[in-house]
Amino acid sequence: MRRSQPERGIGASLMAMVSPASSDSRPSQTRLPGTPGKPAGKPVRPRVVLAMEGVTKSYPNGKIALRGVDLVVPEGDFVFLVGPSGAGKSTILKLLIRDEMATKGVVLLDGRDLARLKRKDVPRIRRKIGIVFQDFKLLPHKSVRENVAFALEVTGAPRQSIGPVVDRVLRVVGLTGQADQLPGQLSGGEQQRTAIARALVHNPRLFIADEPTGNLDPLISWEIIQLLLRINELGVTVLMATHNAEVVTALRKRVVALEDGRVVRDQTEAAYHRED
Amino acid sequence: MIAFVAFSLRRAWQGLWHNRLMSVAATATMVLMLALLSGLIILLTGLDATLKYVEQEVQVVAYVKDSANPQDVNLLETALGQMPQVTEVSYVSKDQALKDFLSRHPDEAEVVNSLPTNPLPASLQINLRDPNDYLDVATYLRNQSPVDRVLNIKQTVDQMVTVIGVLRAVGIGVLVVVGLIVLFIIVNTIRLAVVSRADEIEIMRLVGASDAFIRWPFIFEGAMVGLFGALITIAVLWLGQGPITTVMADYFKVLPVEASATVGRDVALVVLGTGVGIGVLGSYLSIRSYLIR
Repeated sequence: MRRSQPERGIGASLMAMVSPASSDSRPSQTRLPGTPGKPAGKPVRPRVVLAMEGVTKSYPNGKIALRGVDLVVPEGDFVFLVGPSGAGKSTILKLLIRDEMATKGVVLLDGRDLARLKRKDVPRIRRKIGIVFQDFKLLPHKSVRENVAFALEVTGAPRQSIGPVVDRVLRVVGLTGQADQLPGQLSGGEQQRTAIARALVHNPRLFIADEPTGNLDPLISWEIIQLLLRINELGVTVLMATHNAEVVTALRKRVVALEDGRVVRDQTEAAYHRED
Repeated sequence: MIAFVAFSLRRAWQGLWHNRLMSVAATATMVLMLALLSGLIILLTGLDATLKYVEQEVQVVAYVKDSANPQDVNLLETALGQMPQVTEVSYVSKDQALKDFLSRHPDEAEVVNSLPTNPLPASLQINLRDPNDYLDVATYLRNQSPVDRVLNIKQTVDQMVTVIGVLRAVGIGVLVVVGLIVLFIIVNTIRLAVVSRADEIEIMRLVGASDAFIRWPFIFEGAMVGLFGALITIAVLWLGQGPITTVMADYFKVLPVEASATVGRDVALVVLGTGVGIGVLGSYLSIRSYLIR
């Protein structure tokens, strides 16, 4: 599972994406994910970003949130995680950012067993994950630029390196013009794009979106989904928990359905019809 | 390392500034609590000085036989002066005793003058370092040949020692209780300030900030609240120094001058140490619950 690989990151691809010279090239579709720099020809198994095996999670109050969940997500996948409230979607996301630990089973993120992670290594593994939420979680007294820069500042990035990275991700999400506004002055869609920009600054391997369109109207929701698709095209694996059946059905991506803590369906190019 | 400290200080200052209301509330609480603490310390210092003064007033009086050899009396006086329990020895001659008596009771002059001889004995008056040594010194004196008898104030001394002991114990007890109250209130206020920023802490955790990057800005912030609170308290005490000294002098009457000179410095150090210390402690305890999972 563990393979050493040159540090790649999406920074370069993001640059390519926004620079006019490469506007017609589509880097993510011309190479297999997870095989940068390797000569094409030999078939290479895509690297696995996330693997869960027999994962059970029970809380001290006796509630069992997950029952024997198996889930493998290869690099470059776009996965919808669906299911009624309380099915275990949030628990899976909490396990991935290691806010919670599995009671039984193994959770591997980028080849690391999260249960064996030392406390001091937890922040580093979290930087491999970009995460956005329904409620954006922006700091109200910081501008868009400062909110995005915050993620770099608090992880010890050198000050002079912060500005260029922030500018780059703001260009990717299309917020260059709003960089100096406060979250309160932005629309819901712009706030979510700010959150997405912040989630991108560490060049994540896995992008987690927890109900990213829950607070947005349908049109804006589509904009956000388009943005997530673009990020996915750049080679970033996306895992999106959602209730939005319309979006899931329209995109025909892989759908993992949870019910009562179990994976009841795992299909590629699938639809989703809500029954709750 | 320097970059990290600079970052923490900058974040701490931002934290204080962006949450002005909470910072002001925390600092105000800090000032009130430190003022309470320092007020109590000043009061107890006064009480202690008074008690020390009272203790030093305890005098062993040994009456000297009229027949005693003046040389023996002199030797005794020297010996007493060298005892570790003794601070001061004075010899009051028969004549002096009579003069003292007359100055206290001028009405009795006629009666006294009608007496054929001076009936008052000469005496040695011995001041003690600690009233608990009364018995030792008194017993020693009783066994000396020039001494006729020792004025028995054992009961009075015992009572006084008990009362002083109780007062001291009560003072320390009150100080401990108030100290704990101050600790809890300040720690709780800082906890409130930290809890009100749970969102910010959560974001830091989610973007992969290490524990140190989350913790230290808050600890510096707690230290700053403590420092500001302490400086304001010290400034208030400085301004109130005159009136406080007057009240203290009036109230305790006997407050020794040399005590008041160091009280100010001691109180300032206690206020500064307590303020910064509890500020840091409060932040450390409050932030802990967000880091340990």
